[in-house]
Amino acid sequence: MNQELKELYQQVILDHNKSPRNFRKMENATQFAEGYNPLCGDHIDVYLLIEDGIVKDVSFKGEGCAISKASASLMTSILKGKTREEAEKLFEKFHDLVTGKLGDNPDIDELGKLAVFAGVQEFPVRVKCASLAWHTMMNALHNKDEKVSTE
Amino acid sequence: LLEFATKQIAEVPGLRIIGTAKEKTSVLSFVLENIHPHDIGTFLDFEGVAIRTGHHCTQPLMQRYNIPATSRASFGMYNTKDEVDVLVNGLKKIIEVFG
Repeated sequence: MNQELKELYQQVILDHNKSPRNFRKMENATQFAEGYNPLCGDHIDVYLLIEDGIVKDVSFKGEGCAISKASASLMTSILKGKTREEAEKLFEKFHDLVTGKLGDNPDIDELGKLAVFAGVQEFPVRVKCASLAWHTMMNALHNKDEKVSTE
Repeated sequence: LLEFATKQIAEVPGLRIIGTAKEKTSVLSFVLENIHPHDIGTFLDFEGVAIRTGHHCTQPLMQRYNIPATSRASFGMYNTKDEVDVLVNGLKKIIEVFG
């Protein structure tokens, strides 16, 4: 496989695409939002259970390409146990990563597993795939009613 | 060339051709089991094959077939059988990577 392509489709991403984590509807969610990318048809529902300002549980449902599914899956795994502020900070970090604002040396410690999405910055058309879940999560966090749309 | 490509592509495991009218223009729409068309598109770019992926502005039709999107190869006067082989081999490679 081409090197650039390998960077995009890393093993962790392929794995999360095949068996997404926290892929379920949450009945006792305190927060919920819907995200949609009309151009490619990706559609995602994000559920949050927040107690005392802490993300106790987070899950998602929907369909999309490998990048968007893996991104949603990894997001749910990393957000559990985080405070609202930490979640918002991670969103910003992640966004900077996939849009190439962090440059060649992203702060791996802070990003943790999310660093596997560094390859996305070389594919501008796929940035939306990677960030849809995160934008939707932010809307859920702020209890915004409107549907997230990438367009 | 469409006939040739239809025959070749049908041999790719897990592939389903969408649109099988007897008289159709030389386009070939298809879906691959468990692999999203956009991943197929990005992958094929690197094989040197440009295809179109997505809704093709026909969301109601996609709903009717209950699929998120399709991949679509179009053939012109200038395309060759060898290029069809590149496409088909590319699809087999994708299955290996994503399968």
